[in-house]
Amino acid sequence: MRDKMLDAVGRFDGALASVEVETAVSVVEGLLAAGVDPVDVLVDVIASAQRTVGERWQRGEWTVAEEHAATAVSVSATEAVARWVRRTPATRGRVVVACAEREWHALPAMIVGTALRAAGWDITLLGASTPPTKLGQYLHDLGPDAVAVSCSVLGALGTTRRFIEASTAAGIPVVVGGSAFGRDAARAEALGATAWAPGAREAVDIVAALPTVVPAVPPMAGRAAGEQAALELAHHRIVTGLRERWSLAAQIVTTEALPLDSVDAIAVDVVNQAVHAVWAALITDDPRALTETAGWVGSLLDARDVNPELVLELGRLLAADLRDFPIARDLVARHWGDGVLAAGAR
Amino acid sequence: MSGNGRTGVQAQPPPLGAETEGTPTEQQLLARARQRADLAGEVTTQLAGSLNLRRTVLRLFALVKPELADWAMLVMADRRTDRLALHGGHEPTFVTHIDGIPAEELGVGRVLRSGRSELLHVALAEDFADGLDSMIPHDGLRAEATALRPADVLGLALTARGVTVGVLVLVRGAGRGFPEEDVALAEQVAGRAAMALDSARLYEDRSRVASVLQASLRPPALPRTPGLRLSARFRAAAEHLDIGGDFYDVHGGDGDWLLVLGDVCGKGVEAAVLTGRARQSIRTAFHFDRRPARVLAAVNSVLYEEDSDRFVTVVCARVRPDPDGRSAEVTLAVAGHPAPLVLHADGTLTQVEVAGMVAGVLPDVGYRETTTRLGPGDALVMFTDGIYEARGPEGFYGMDRLRGLLPAYAGAGPEAVCEAVEQDVVEYLRGRAHDDMALFAVACGR
Repeated sequence: MRDKMLDAVGRFDGALASVEVETAVSVVEGLLAAGVDPVDVLVDVIASAQRTVGERWQRGEWTVAEEHAATAVSVSATEAVARWVRRTPATRGRVVVACAEREWHALPAMIVGTALRAAGWDITLLGASTPPTKLGQYLHDLGPDAVAVSCSVLGALGTTRRFIEASTAAGIPVVVGGSAFGRDAARAEALGATAWAPGAREAVDIVAALPTVVPAVPPMAGRAAGEQAALELAHHRIVTGLRERWSLAAQIVTTEALPLDSVDAIAVDVVNQAVHAVWAALITDDPRALTETAGWVGSLLDARDVNPELVLELGRLLAADLRDFPIARDLVARHWGDGVLAAGAR
Repeated sequence: MSGNGRTGVQAQPPPLGAETEGTPTEQQLLARARQRADLAGEVTTQLAGSLNLRRTVLRLFALVKPELADWAMLVMADRRTDRLALHGGHEPTFVTHIDGIPAEELGVGRVLRSGRSELLHVALAEDFADGLDSMIPHDGLRAEATALRPADVLGLALTARGVTVGVLVLVRGAGRGFPEEDVALAEQVAGRAAMALDSARLYEDRSRVASVLQASLRPPALPRTPGLRLSARFRAAAEHLDIGGDFYDVHGGDGDWLLVLGDVCGKGVEAAVLTGRARQSIRTAFHFDRRPARVLAAVNSVLYEEDSDRFVTVVCARVRPDPDGRSAEVTLAVAGHPAPLVLHADGTLTQVEVAGMVAGVLPDVGYRETTTRLGPGDALVMFTDGIYEARGPEGFYGMDRLRGLLPAYAGAGPEAVCEAVEQDVVEYLRGRAHDDMALFAVACGR
């Protein structure tokens, strides 16, 4: 069985790289027919291959379009697993699975939803970047046993918090997960989630153990949350300013011949991510959001032969731009550089 | 695991009525009075949090147990169906229904009719079937309550808006009893719970009707289409409703498909109703003649004859994959709809040259067809005006931005194309309201 899995993982990886939907779907269907647990297929084949997709983009081997194309193949494969698990009737309660606004990675939520469906839960899957009014409507209409929120980008942690407020106000427990939460429960706890799931497999056990009713989370008070709200309003101005002054952006303006998706697209992403990391650190009180982001930016630029000094420059510009936001500025000044150092040491 | 430590271990005061030894001190009395006031307030705010009946019931149990009772059951009477719903017991999620509302002589029946609460004492040895039978009309639930003997059973009338809609049955075991202050508090809680439960039930009645209608008006799940890869997106202007004036459909099979994308004037519920009619007439027209121009002509006549001032724009694409499955012939006709784009595998972009009159305004409109080919890796991208007319802080999204975005996704497949466009447009809006938006893309391959 183990060899069969290894072989399947290899073939699935290949199907993603060459965008062969048919192959990917048949690999997955073959495993299921051979009796492999659907959750193992989701986690060990699809999610694991999808991580490599992200890494390939990060290393500059793939363009964003190639990444999207490969992800679409994973979506089709996950749909195949979903078709398989739907053949058995749901025997437990209902779980609403959602991505908060600004979260465009719908696949992790699909994987978690399909894993829960395999465990017998009835699933209502709300797609990428779900507006909070839509979630509220579904909660009133369905009265689910739990809500599961997937969040992989730091910029969506704030809207995830809104989902936590909407759910717990109705007494519904919320389990959260995804790479934006980092490697432990700290950010999930800070946002008032009922539980944190490190992965889809764990989410299945955690949902089964959630309390029936939870109290409404208290409002987010404090100066840090206030700064985050103000930063969100000023986001466009800050991001535009950073892009204009950061040396990387300046290089792009002068070299028109750069192929699409190389440094140009990266610069926009990086500046956004940096500011989103500040939001995340403010509302979760977890400065690792900044160190991790600085490290990520470092490796991204490194893979594209950009002078690593530019990461530190971005941190300095960011801190200077945050003069009206003392807590945020202090966080950037103290933690951005650590991330660069940590990345350098690796 | 708990959020802000709220669900974690917390020093809880003992439940009300728990102290039985000696005379309570003044401090204890004061603490209990405060506890009662807190609970009454808590019930009001917490029960206002959901309009869902099931969640409201669960919340109510979480509030009354263990503070106010060791065991609780909720009876909701539905006079139209003459049924009782019994919720709770030891397991708060338990629910069962019994036919017939009991007569008025005893227990639940009497409380429902009189609207007056009743307190029963059930001693240890006594055969109390008489009292409990009628207050807990279910064998399993009654057995749970019986196990708590000697017990006190409080049947509280839930009266909201002049009608007694149910009974909240609270049981305290081990001689904890219901002192007068606790009965008063329980009645206060019941009054607030009754209002919340009644509102939730009204909402449920309404939403049941709405969701059935809504489900028929939502865009369909795309069928599996051997030989074609399809992807579609819809974002309603009325975000929470999920329905609106844009629609898409797939008809046909066996290597001959008709893909439809359309937009009726207006938005929200009214538009969605017209959408349903337009979709139905397209389906019917397609049944008789698969040619896009004929389908559109039929839709035009049907909508025109309905004599409303409503109109609809539609693009119809008949897609027939070649035997090798790598390319396809596409026959297109449009009724007042923006012409689709073809994103070629090499990144070039062409807009199909096709035009026609909106449907539903003039009688006997003829439509012209255009034929184009989808080569390997090419994608046909159809969209509604909500896409390029999306208005962010910097003005309209515009066709140029769409044209600029697409080439990077050449060959990436319909799913990737739709995902990229949806994300780009929604992010461009930066949270602003938008019209209905729909996208529909197709390419060859499975």
